[in-house]
Amino acid sequence: MAPVKVPSGHFSILYFAAASSFTGKSSEHIAAPLRAGSLFEELEKKYPGMEAKVLASCAVTVNLDYIEIDGGNAPDLDLVIQEGDEVAIIPPVSSG
Amino acid sequence: MATTESSTYTPDIPSSPITRTNPESTVHVELTPNSLDHVAATSFVRSPSAGATVLFIGTTRDSFNDLPVSSLAYTSYAPLAMTTLYSIATTILSKHGATKIAIVHKLGECPIGEESIVIAVSAPHRQAAWRAGEEALEETKAKAEIWKLERFVGGEGVWRANRDGVMGEKVEEEKDQGKGTEMNLEDNAKETS
Repeated sequence: MAPVKVPSGHFSILYFAAASSFTGKSSEHIAAPLRAGSLFEELEKKYPGMEAKVLASCAVTVNLDYIEIDGGNAPDLDLVIQEGDEVAIIPPVSSG
Repeated sequence: MATTESSTYTPDIPSSPITRTNPESTVHVELTPNSLDHVAATSFVRSPSAGATVLFIGTTRDSFNDLPVSSLAYTSYAPLAMTTLYSIATTILSKHGATKIAIVHKLGECPIGEESIVIAVSAPHRQAAWRAGEEALEETKAKAEIWKLERFVGGEGVWRANRDGVMGEKVEEEKDQGKGTEMNLEDNAKETS
């Protein structure tokens, strides 16, 4: 599931469920470093319409920890996604 | 939220079960591509100090809002889902004073009518076992990073969200709900298998 090797200067990003449907991928690499607060903007540029259709209802993890980047006062907007990090887009879950 | 998926979608799943059991053998969580074994889960929680064992088996339904479902598949962010399931299990064990707990979820294709989740809990007395079992299920449905793709008869696949009231309708209050990490009992009550 996770990419085998992340090229230098990049982080990996994983897409699940609706995020995977929308991008047509389960993962890819994006240039690092990237301010967490700019992540959705960056994805919207690559996949026009993704922010409203998918990302608005998604959570984000960096290295398996949830970060909060939703809204102007979110605590993790200035967190910097580093080379080699694993970011994941987490749509609303549906187990059971 | 729901987004359609082409009928050729194949879930990306591990080829063998991923398991985690604590050293005391009181907590077991598992994500597996294999058929679920509720007898094994029940055996795991059996204990001479427990007078009650509660077993929940969730099976996949053949319809959603009266629309016929032809097949289902589950996918997961397995490393994160395992951490989440383990945390749910250990928290519930201590909160309810339960003896042992097992949570096992299916990944990949899950034919209609087959088991998608098994939760077994033992406790000294029945009240704690019932409550722990129910809470384990609700917490898992609210938090575990697992997604269900429902394929409708003659149509595309739809990624379900447990907190949606209806298929394809976006939930607006999610910004106040911690983005998929909070439980919504009312919504989930409708979805429980």
